[in-house]
Amino acid sequence: MSEPVMSPVMSESAMPQKTFELRILRYTPGRDEKPAFGSFKVTGAEGMSVLEALQSIKDTLDGTLSFRWSCRMAVCGSCGMMINGTPKLACSTLLRDLPPGPVTVEPLQNFPIERDLVISVDAFVKKIESVYPYLIPREQKTVAEGPHLQTPAQMAAYESFSDCINCMLCYAACPQFGENPDFIGPGAMAMLQRYNGDSRDGGRQKRLDTIHGENGVWSCTAVGYCSEVCPKSVDPANAVNQNKTNSAFDFFLRFLRTEQPQ
Amino acid sequence: MNERRPYHRPMPGNWWARPPYRAYTARELSGVAVAAYGGVLFAGLVSLSRGPESWDGYLQFLRSPTSLALHVLLLAAMIFHVITWFQTLPKTMPKMIVGGKHVPAKKITRIATLAAGVASLVLVLVVLGVAR
Repeated sequence: MSEPVMSPVMSESAMPQKTFELRILRYTPGRDEKPAFGSFKVTGAEGMSVLEALQSIKDTLDGTLSFRWSCRMAVCGSCGMMINGTPKLACSTLLRDLPPGPVTVEPLQNFPIERDLVISVDAFVKKIESVYPYLIPREQKTVAEGPHLQTPAQMAAYESFSDCINCMLCYAACPQFGENPDFIGPGAMAMLQRYNGDSRDGGRQKRLDTIHGENGVWSCTAVGYCSEVCPKSVDPANAVNQNKTNSAFDFFLRFLRTEQPQ
Repeated sequence: MNERRPYHRPMPGNWWARPPYRAYTARELSGVAVAAYGGVLFAGLVSLSRGPESWDGYLQFLRSPTSLALHVLLLAAMIFHVITWFQTLPKTMPKMIVGGKHVPAKKITRIATLAAGVASLVLVLVVLGVAR
């Protein structure tokens, strides 16, 4: 039996190098009539992420290439883009895991393109704001009265929805959002359910009042692709669809309401 | 700084025919088969109300090769619809917490599909028993 070999940590230069080709959808407002693909060849570590490849292009080939990024570790939700047609985070997508050949990189589907891979987020932020994305305490307590307690089971009811990082991949996956940009969409509904599912929260009715109608939950046709592309397994499709039931109940039982909409 | 001029990319009109949406489209289309079979049953009810002659005509249609082929096709679509229906089920209901823990979506799908299968089997046996 041979001796177990401790593999030393490889330095950057010792790592196997590889050349990748990226086809990137470029758009400069004011100059370009419409977006067009540009091709780049990058050489780097075999295990390089798409984000690292983009950074390498910006550093060495074309300084005007625009894209958003921040944390490099799938937490901030900034670097969402279409990679080979699938909504993905560029930082957690490794080039070696993609099929051989040129890699296609486009801005997120269904969003207006500001420049290159940068999309407009204004409407998404407005939607998040519209669902009262904060805890509205069921009962007001003073500090002396102690904290609002919660059991592990009560926490499990909403916890997965609190993992959302607002990367908007779910919106890029949603054909109904593509058809109707005013549709509240999966991400904002996950945010809504994070608070509506919280046993300490008392703002359920207020939030439900924002999601009735065509631009609310009812644009959803349960395609379910939003949950498949979610990098944090938030399952936004569940947030949207269980609120169809809530919205329907609220419609039929609105005469029995004790709390009036504000 | 350039002035903002966001470019709106159009949605491809045939998005529903392309992957990854093809599976969804197939699931929704199989719902049409369920409606079509409802139509077949409803036609039977109408001919029953019109009297024995009409009813015999309906039975004759059921025995025809066209009807048999149609039924095989509708059955296949119906089974596909049942399977995909229960795959979607966990997405449409509140999170199930048992003993402080999530019931996994796959488990809900499995139990519900099994229940539907057993219910269908019981129904078939009851109908066969009544017919005898």
